[in-house]
Amino acid sequence: MISKELFWQNSRQLGTLIGLLLVMIIFWILSPYFMTVSNLLNIAEQTSINAIIAVGMTFVIITAGIDLSVGSIVALSGVALADMLQAGHAGPLAIAVGLMVGALCGLVNGSLISYGKLPPFIATLGMMSVARGAALFYTDGRPISGFNADFRFLATGEVLSIPVPVVLMLFLYGIAYLVLNRTKLGRYAYAIGGNEEAANLSGINTKLVKTIVYGLCGLLSGLAAVVLTARLNSAQPIAGMMYELDAIAAVVIGGTSLMGGEGKISGTLIGAFIMGVLRNGLNLLGISSFTQQIIIGSVIILAVLVDMTLRNDRKPLFGKGLFK
Amino acid sequence: MIRAWTFPTLLSVLVVLPGCRKSEQIDKPTIAFVMKTLNNPFFIDMRKGAEAEAQRLGVSLIVQAAEREVDVEKQMQIVENLIQRKVSALCITPSGSREIVPAIRKANEANIPVLIVDTRVDQKALAEAGATTLSFIGSDNKDGGRIAGEFIVAQLNGKGSIAVLEGIPGHETGDDRLHGLRLALDQAKGIKIVASQTANWERDQGFNVFQNILQAHPDVQALFACNDMMALGAIEAISAAQSKHKIIVVGFDAIDDSRRAILKGEMSASVAQHPEEMGSLAVEHAYKAMKGERIPLEIPIRIELVKKEDLLGQGSNK
Repeated sequence: MISKELFWQNSRQLGTLIGLLLVMIIFWILSPYFMTVSNLLNIAEQTSINAIIAVGMTFVIITAGIDLSVGSIVALSGVALADMLQAGHAGPLAIAVGLMVGALCGLVNGSLISYGKLPPFIATLGMMSVARGAALFYTDGRPISGFNADFRFLATGEVLSIPVPVVLMLFLYGIAYLVLNRTKLGRYAYAIGGNEEAANLSGINTKLVKTIVYGLCGLLSGLAAVVLTARLNSAQPIAGMMYELDAIAAVVIGGTSLMGGEGKISGTLIGAFIMGVLRNGLNLLGISSFTQQIIIGSVIILAVLVDMTLRNDRKPLFGKGLFK
Repeated sequence: MIRAWTFPTLLSVLVVLPGCRKSEQIDKPTIAFVMKTLNNPFFIDMRKGAEAEAQRLGVSLIVQAAEREVDVEKQMQIVENLIQRKVSALCITPSGSREIVPAIRKANEANIPVLIVDTRVDQKALAEAGATTLSFIGSDNKDGGRIAGEFIVAQLNGKGSIAVLEGIPGHETGDDRLHGLRLALDQAKGIKIVASQTANWERDQGFNVFQNILQAHPDVQALFACNDMMALGAIEAISAAQSKHKIIVVGFDAIDDSRRAILKGEMSASVAQHPEEMGSLAVEHAYKAMKGERIPLEIPIRIELVKKEDLLGQGSNK
């Protein structure tokens, strides 16, 4: 049976990739502005923030968890970073603080889930509100803006004529691939998502692994905040609202099951790109913003339908992960 | 493997269908109008004005907005995508006065004229980024706040307590309206602001926040809300509270729902801007700019207070 297992896992990735290519070909036919180098780089740049958050979300969902707080963490990390920059601290130090704030929020999430035994849905729902409130409180609701060119290089700069956020994103997916497939942390994450009880009995410190995974998700939200802040030249306490849903959508379109235990990081990247390409192409065609939402929503549903059809077993998506 | 193909195919058909209609417009000169949102009556009116003017001039118009009004990053994405689309001119109502600046800079680099509508861009941020806009089309919100304040002062005969529902903090539109209000209230020493809180521009939040304010200050005599949505929420809270004295409610934007509320006497007045006029003048001047004509730096739109008397005089067309 192993060979059949392998077959559908791979064909699933292929299905997502084919979906992306098809959507791209259609936009290519419909719009003369779509398939140009500058537009493709534009799409990659726009996708980078969601794609970075979605890396952390993939890890979390593989352990059969969920993180609803990423958008709020983006806001809190962003304002912490921006405040440091405005106070005149060096860029690297400010960035480190932003990343630490994100990681810390994530570790709190992880600890509440592992040691406090809270369902991930509840713990991160709470953090969503706490981090948002903290960001608003810290800034008195006002955006912090205006940074130097060195910092803004993170969003406006180019390496070999590829925008820095894109380079960062690709580098990150490389690392995430290695961590997920070549390290204990990655294998343990799959094991926990597959069967936490069994993972625990076989000697894996599941609590620690889960805490680290949520910490990682927070850290990457912090990194997304760095890119976002550099991109807008401003950090807003209301930034990142509903980013959690975009990230979850990218992961799910990419074929990672919300039940945990399976999924690939490459799928998430493709998923994030499907969303980015759709938004871009629909804008190029001048399609009404309302219709765009219908199309993007339908794509998410269809992608999951494909996934379930290929699996041949229609288990409920919200089986054990969310409300156990 | 066959099954793997079927769904992506279906999925792409879904993308094609709504796309086909628009594809023939690609070569006409196109003006793009990026709004804060398309589900607020104010912007719906602006869109109407813009579309009518585009039709008159025979240019195609793309109107887009992010899914959420506060999502400045999505607004930036839309502008970037429209730059790729090589539109001939861009009209923008910024979701963030500073956050929109990098997008304007990109439009400048692509030589696409940018006109700002309704909400001003932060001039300092604009200068620092080396970005430029051709024109501002909108009303002076500070003036609007001031005439609302003067009306409240007159209604209260110069003394009493008032509450304020603010917009999103750091949002230039709301800040200007508040500033104008305070200028007017400062003239009357007997007036005190007893509560001033944000309801984030939204109707349901206006209800909740004003309900809380009424708990703390049941004797408040007047309310100024920085937009009508919040004012409309607040009048629901007032009717739920069954307060014994009349509370003067002044909103901003004079949208249809509040005109009805003013006629019924639930609301006292609202400051009217003219979003349709903003939309049509924006498109008209974008068209001129795109043909290389010089256009004025400031195109002011009239602003006035709408009271029950004004509406009765107008008949029932609104």
